[in-house]
Amino acid sequence: MSERSSEFWRWREYRHTQPNMDWNQAKIVTAGIDIGSVGSKAAIILDGQLYAYSVMRTGGVSEETAFKVMNWALEGTGLKTENLHQVVGTGYGRVNIPFANKTITEIACHARGAHYIYGPSVRTVLDIGGQDCKAIRCDNKGKVMSFLMNDKCAAGTGRGLEVFSDLIRIPIEEVGKVSLNVTEEPPPVSNTCVIFAKAESVALLRQGWPKEKVAAAYHLAMVDRIIDLLTKVGIEKDFVITGGVAKNIGIATRLETNLGIKPLEPELDPILAGAIGAALFANALYEKQLGLR
Amino acid sequence: MLEEVFETFRKWIDNRHEYARAWKERTQNKVVGYFCTYVPEEILYAANILPVRILGSHEPPTVTEPYIFAMYCHLCRDCLAQGLKGKFNYVNGIVEGQSCLHLRQAFNAWRLHIPTDFAHYIYIPHGVQNPHAIQYLTQEFAKFKKALEDWTGKKITNEDLDRGIRIMNKNRELMRRVYEYRKLDNPKITGLEAMEMVLSSQMTDKEEHSKLLERLLEELPNRKLNRNPGVRLMIIGSEDDDRVFMKNVEALGATFVIDEHCTGSRYLWDDVVPDEDRLFAIASRYVKRIACPSKDWAEFTRVNHAVRLAKEFKVQGTLVIQNKFCDPHGIEIPPLRDALGSIGVPTYPLEFDVTVPWGQFRTRVEAFLETLTGLEELF
Repeated sequence: MSERSSEFWRWREYRHTQPNMDWNQAKIVTAGIDIGSVGSKAAIILDGQLYAYSVMRTGGVSEETAFKVMNWALEGTGLKTENLHQVVGTGYGRVNIPFANKTITEIACHARGAHYIYGPSVRTVLDIGGQDCKAIRCDNKGKVMSFLMNDKCAAGTGRGLEVFSDLIRIPIEEVGKVSLNVTEEPPPVSNTCVIFAKAESVALLRQGWPKEKVAAAYHLAMVDRIIDLLTKVGIEKDFVITGGVAKNIGIATRLETNLGIKPLEPELDPILAGAIGAALFANALYEKQLGLR
Repeated sequence: MLEEVFETFRKWIDNRHEYARAWKERTQNKVVGYFCTYVPEEILYAANILPVRILGSHEPPTVTEPYIFAMYCHLCRDCLAQGLKGKFNYVNGIVEGQSCLHLRQAFNAWRLHIPTDFAHYIYIPHGVQNPHAIQYLTQEFAKFKKALEDWTGKKITNEDLDRGIRIMNKNRELMRRVYEYRKLDNPKITGLEAMEMVLSSQMTDKEEHSKLLERLLEELPNRKLNRNPGVRLMIIGSEDDDRVFMKNVEALGATFVIDEHCTGSRYLWDDVVPDEDRLFAIASRYVKRIACPSKDWAEFTRVNHAVRLAKEFKVQGTLVIQNKFCDPHGIEIPPLRDALGSIGVPTYPLEFDVTVPWGQFRTRVEAFLETLTGLEELF
C-alpha cells in the first residue's frame, strides 16, 4: 500500500477464543458489549472467566455494529446469542444494543474490568477512549468511589490521536513509540481543542520540526490534559490505564515520568476492560436472579 | 384539573412573551424586564408594573459577540441575545439588581444598544454580611422607588408597598407549601414540575399565579404519581432553567426532591417581615435572604443551608451545577462537596453551557446514580 493511500489512523481489529475452555461445561454464560465512539468490543465469559472477545471499529449505525462485534466474538465457538444467559451493554452506544438485557455505564464497567485484568490492588483507573477520558477511583472490589470525565472536546483522547497520526503519516500503533525518539521534550502544543492542536502541529512541521519532535509535543499536550483530570480526582496506587490509548507507549511513559507512578502492565488488551466489566456485571446480575448473590 | 395546572405553568413558560403582551394590552400597565432575583419585585408590584424575568432560550447566541465577552457565562449572553433579537420588545423598561459582573455587562449592553424607556441599576451591596448592608440597601430602594415614580408619574404609597409585599409573600408562601410535598417518600411533584412552577412565577402576574397555586394545593394531597421516585437528588448551583436536563435525569430513575437555585428554592425561601418602614422591611429580606454565592462571603452561609435542605428532604446525592465561567458558583463547589460529604451525601459537579451535551452528561449522571443504587454492591 502506498503512503498516499494508507490509513494511518486505522488500528488492528481482531478476535480471540481462549483455548482449553468449553462453554458447554459452563453454568453461566454472559456477554458484555461496549459500543464506544470509535471502537466496539464484545467479551464472553464463562462462570466469570474470560472466554472469547472481539474488537472492531464502530460503524455509523450502533445497532449494526453491536450485532457484528457480538457475532464475531461468537464465531467458531458454536455459541449463539440465545445461549447467553445475560447481556449487558455499555459505552456511548449502550442504548442502541437491541439484544442487551441491561445497560450500565462505561465508568462502572471499566472499573470492574480493570479489577479483572489487573487485580484487586487497583485504586485509580484512567480510561482513555475515543472521545473522552475518565479518571476513576475504585475500591478493592472494583466499586466506583468517585470519577471525573473530560469536557466536550476530543483533545486528549483516542480520536484526537487518530487525527494526529493521519496528519504526520505515522501508523497509530507506532506513533507513541516514535514520539519518544527525542533527546529532550519540546513544549506541548495546545491541549484545549483537537483542531487547534492539529493546526499547531501543522505549523511546527512547516517550521521544519522533525515528525518525532512534533509527535512528542502532541503527546505531551495529551498527557498534560490527562494529568489535570487525574489530579482532580486524586491518584492512588495501583494506577492502571484502560481503553485503546492505554497501548500507546508515548502516553504511558510520559504519565509515568510526570506523575512518578508507574502504571501496571496488563496481561490482556486493556481496550477490553469495558466489555469485560459489562460481562461480569451480566454474570453477577444473572447470579442474583438465580438467588446465588 | 391538577394536571391542567402543571400544563398551564408549562404554557406560560413556553409562551412567556405572548403572556406579557396580552397582560400589557389588558391592563394598559407597564412591563419591566429584570435580570436577577435581587430586583425587589415588591416595589414593581406596588407601582402596578409587571416584572418578568429575562432568561435565555438555550439556543446558541449568535448575536452577542460584539457586545459581550465570550468568556462571560452563557446566561448573560443568552439574555442579551433575547434583547438583541427583539424577543422582549414589549418591555417598557429593564432593571438589574447588582449580583455579578456578567449580568451587569448584559444589562449595560442592553441599555446601550436596545432602545428602552427606563433602565435602572440597583446597587445591591455585595457585602450582605456587613452590618450596614440593610441601611444601605434601604436607601438604594428609596432611589429605585423615586425613579419609578418619576417614570410613571404616580406616587407609590405605603399602601401600594403593602400590596406589593403581600402579593410577593403570598406567592412565595404558596410555593413553599408545594415544596413540602417534595419531602414525602414518594414526592407529589417531580423536580421538573417544581422548576416549571417557579419559572412560570417569574414570568407571570403573581396574583394569577397564586390562584393556580391555591388550586394546586387543594388537589395535591390526593395526587399519586405513577412512577418510582428512584434516587432522591438535590440540584444546586448557578441559574438553571434547563428543563430538558431535569426531564432527562428524572427519566434515568431519580427525582429531584429539592433544588437550591435562583430559579427554585432560593427565589421563594424568604419572606418580607412587615415593618413600619416598608423599604427597610423589603431591604431586610433581600439582605438576609439565602444569598447568591456572589454575595455569600466572608462566610459561606449557603453551604449550611444546603446541608439543612439535604437533611430535611432526605437527599441521597447532589448534582452541583456550574454555568461555564460562573466563578462564584465554582468557588463554592469544594465547601459544598465537603459539607454534604460529611453528612453522607455525595456530590457530582457538572458544567453547564448554553446547550447541554446530553450524551456525555447522561453517562456521568447515570454513573453517579449507579454509585447510589446498590448496583455496585453486587460484588
